[in-house]
Amino acid sequence: MPIIVRLDDILHARRMSLTELSEKVDITLANLSILKTGKARAIRFSTLEAICSALDCQPGDLLAFDSTER
Amino acid sequence: MTSHAPAPPALEITRKVLRGLRVLNILYGVGIAVMFVVSFLARDFMVRALHSSHADGMDMGVFIMGMRLLMLVGVAGAAVAHVILTRLLEIVGTVGEGDPFVPLNAHRLQQIAWWLLGGEGLHFLAGAAARYASSSGHPLDIDWSFSFTPWIAVLGLFVLARVFEQGTRMRADLDGMV
Repeated sequence: MPIIVRLDDILHARRMSLTELSEKVDITLANLSILKTGKARAIRFSTLEAICSALDCQPGDLLAFDSTER
Repeated sequence: MTSHAPAPPALEITRKVLRGLRVLNILYGVGIAVMFVVSFLARDFMVRALHSSHADGMDMGVFIMGMRLLMLVGVAGAAVAHVILTRLLEIVGTVGEGDPFVPLNAHRLQQIAWWLLGGEGLHFLAGAAARYASSSGHPLDIDWSFSFTPWIAVLGLFVLARVFEQGTRMRADLDGMV
């Protein structure tokens, strides 16, 4: 998947676990896990907003595009 | 996205009714097929059973041929009904599994629509056979009449199949969205 999700890096930087993030943003752990492991095919803006708000980051910090990855 | 909650009672009743109808339909088809074979093996018995005489030989021959044609239409109709009931059971099965919005169900709905259309064709064939075999000496009245209702049902099913197909495509687009 060319879209890379850097959730792990940001969680590590913020010293937060996935479970804690799940409680903060009211998104299921299962869905966050899908996002973290790169299995998500799409993300809602509401989800992106909630995560960026909880982690105090920009969408560009969370997502990256790698054109070589196909 | 599958759920393993217990199936609602209506679903279970539907399943049992469809299975029961399928068994009855098989018995009906087999019964008519047996009658068709008997019409060759015991023609005289069949003539006596129809309470007709041999006096009007030509009419009786046409009459028997018309009856046989009707029997063949009946067996074909049973085959059509069997396919439709089987597809319906398969769709109900996916509802029970908690995931009916799959492309295969759209395909099944379309198949049901086509088979139902075929069934309506058989209905016309039955009417034509009865008309062909009927005579003043040996009328063959199968109470045939034309109705718009089954044709509207066929049209509705084709539309539903298309809607279902579009719905499964939209669902697939949303699959994996967080």
